[in-house]
Amino acid sequence: MPSDHRLHPSSVLFALAGSLKSFLLPAVVLMWTSGRSAPESPDPGGWGPAGWMNRWMPGDFEIANWQFWALLFLIPSTLAALARYFSFRMRYEGTELVIKSGILFRNERHVPYARIQNLDAVRNVAHRLLGVAEVRVETGGGQTPEATISVLHETIFEEMRRRVFAGRDVQQAIEPGSDAAEISPQTSRTLLHLPVRELLLNGVLDNRGMVVIATAYGVLWEAGLFQSFWEQLTNGSYTPGLLRETVRTVASGNVPSFGRIAVLLIGIGGLLVLVRALSMVWSLLRLHEFRLTRVGDDLRTEYGLLTRVTTTVPLKRIQSLTVKEAPLQRLVDRMSVRVETAGGHGSPHDGQPKQPREMLAPIIRKSAVPALVQEVLPGFTLDGLNWRPLHPRAFRRAVKPFIIVSLVSALPFVFWFGWAGLLTLLLTLPWLVTLAWTHVHHTRWALRQGSGHAAAEDALVMRSGWLWREITVVPIAKIQAVGRVESPFDRRAAMAGVRVDTAGSASPMHRINIPYLARETASALYERLASQTAQTAFRW
Amino acid sequence: MDSGTDDAIADGVSRQVDPRWISVQRIHGAIFTGVLTIGSFVGMMVVWVASGILFLGLLLMPIWLALIGLLAWHTQRWPAIAFRHTWYRVDDAGLELLNGVYWRTITNVPRSRIQHTDVSQGPLERRHGLGTLVVYTAGTQHSQVKLYGLEFSIAQRIRTHLLPRDHGDAV
Repeated sequence: MPSDHRLHPSSVLFALAGSLKSFLLPAVVLMWTSGRSAPESPDPGGWGPAGWMNRWMPGDFEIANWQFWALLFLIPSTLAALARYFSFRMRYEGTELVIKSGILFRNERHVPYARIQNLDAVRNVAHRLLGVAEVRVETGGGQTPEATISVLHETIFEEMRRRVFAGRDVQQAIEPGSDAAEISPQTSRTLLHLPVRELLLNGVLDNRGMVVIATAYGVLWEAGLFQSFWEQLTNGSYTPGLLRETVRTVASGNVPSFGRIAVLLIGIGGLLVLVRALSMVWSLLRLHEFRLTRVGDDLRTEYGLLTRVTTTVPLKRIQSLTVKEAPLQRLVDRMSVRVETAGGHGSPHDGQPKQPREMLAPIIRKSAVPALVQEVLPGFTLDGLNWRPLHPRAFRRAVKPFIIVSLVSALPFVFWFGWAGLLTLLLTLPWLVTLAWTHVHHTRWALRQGSGHAAAEDALVMRSGWLWREITVVPIAKIQAVGRVESPFDRRAAMAGVRVDTAGSASPMHRINIPYLARETASALYERLASQTAQTAFRW
Repeated sequence: MDSGTDDAIADGVSRQVDPRWISVQRIHGAIFTGVLTIGSFVGMMVVWVASGILFLGLLLMPIWLALIGLLAWHTQRWPAIAFRHTWYRVDDAGLELLNGVYWRTITNVPRSRIQHTDVSQGPLERRHGLGTLVVYTAGTQHSQVKLYGLEFSIAQRIRTHLLPRDHGDAV
């Protein structure tokens, strides 16, 4: 067939690199560290298969027998990669994408365009050097992408994206091999573009530096370089328990030496600055040239300097929208906006911790949020909502578990220090009570009537949080199931909770779950949601 | 709205599941208790013999007996209580389920959200002519909603009723 596509030849290399990465990295680290701890190998490449391999190895790079066997395990994955490369065929039919693979066990998968939730492409540095992309096709079912195609030539991916989304919209057969120009190029409009300044700001606010630090720390620790690193940095005044020592000195009523305090303070201050700086670097690399565009009825995001990620989300596939505002963001009038789709949630095993919710705007000016929300959920505005609070007695109930927790946590102190241990309550109780109070007083819900008469435009909105504020919008038409829950405590207080299930809310997220409502309110809300949901048709 | 076949099922009246479900659950409970009794008895004997303390058996045995007795009592008693708190309602709009004795939940699954349905039957259920209706949605917390202890024919009728009939609902 003329429109049959194959994988890019480099896919074999990428598959190999993938298995090498997941498998040889620990091996190399082990090799290195074991070499450090036992420099004198008992039997440097004497007997066994590693013996002859070591003769070929340059310098003092020794491999042990088990490492040789480990290398052997790469052979099956190489064969698998080759088989995949030679057997893979992809073609476009009228309404579906057909993917064939396998030599012994042949598999032919038909993915209707109409079922494709989103189409993502990931390009890391190596991918981009070779002009290829790893493509993920996600449909509604399951936790993993329906098909991960690694790797396709970029032009093929572009064509695939065009055909998939054109085929979905037109819903009629596109003749295989027909001129691509027939598909009208859709207008594309930039909704958000993040300049370097915003990215740096995002880095400061987002604080991903800890992630970088933790990784670096782990590597240094693993390599045993930590001690010497610190010693060099602090010019010898560092000793392994500096902090512990200092605390002990203070506890025993002595004043620690000035030098020691200085080192500690500089260390802590430097660490904080370093974390933010690294976070800024992370943000610059990860979100480089972040651009959110609307192409026809799809939202497309593109970002990344080293690994370039492209995601395409059809607007009608959006299951919920969340606007988040962290305390630092509030200071500079910024927010972040995410949506959730029903697509796969990314598989943790492929190394890339994919965002379960599509990031529409990692950072956006507060004033620009309404326009973006309008774009995603037409006819919907966040202001003018009739926010309803929880039950007036909700705080009294919410605070009880917190009081119990603080009492229980004080028990060991009472055991050690006698009744003086109860003083810890002074510390924990106000904090926990505040927590309960903010939880109850900042959790609000609202039912939004759409501009039209159809229930399809209505939405259930919940907001929560005092410092970290989140607002989640779930259109009624996207609700899968409605539940009313009543615990024994709820029953005693004549209360109940309402929760709503949507597709794709598997991740620990801001899910709509309204606790502590008066029983009548909960029942009315439940009835209303149930009947309205039943009236609307769910379209993926 | 003409929803076709089985309107006797889809009348919007709350119903309890089949009372035979209680005896099925009791048999399940008895099997569970039996297995646990044997297992814990062997475990206790091993501890007793290994410790070499004669006295320990006198201490352990009553506790063990009490716990097993409690379990046996609970597994025979609980099904009837749970049965009283399990209701379902089928109407044109969909399926509604009430369950839970202490933590009570009402779950509503609209018909237009149902992806597919199963009616399953274990060996004990088959002997009692019962079946379990499983309704799948695209959701996550409630991606599977199970209704246990229906008479097999009723489970099948509900399934037939819930099958998506209106075109365009599913796409």
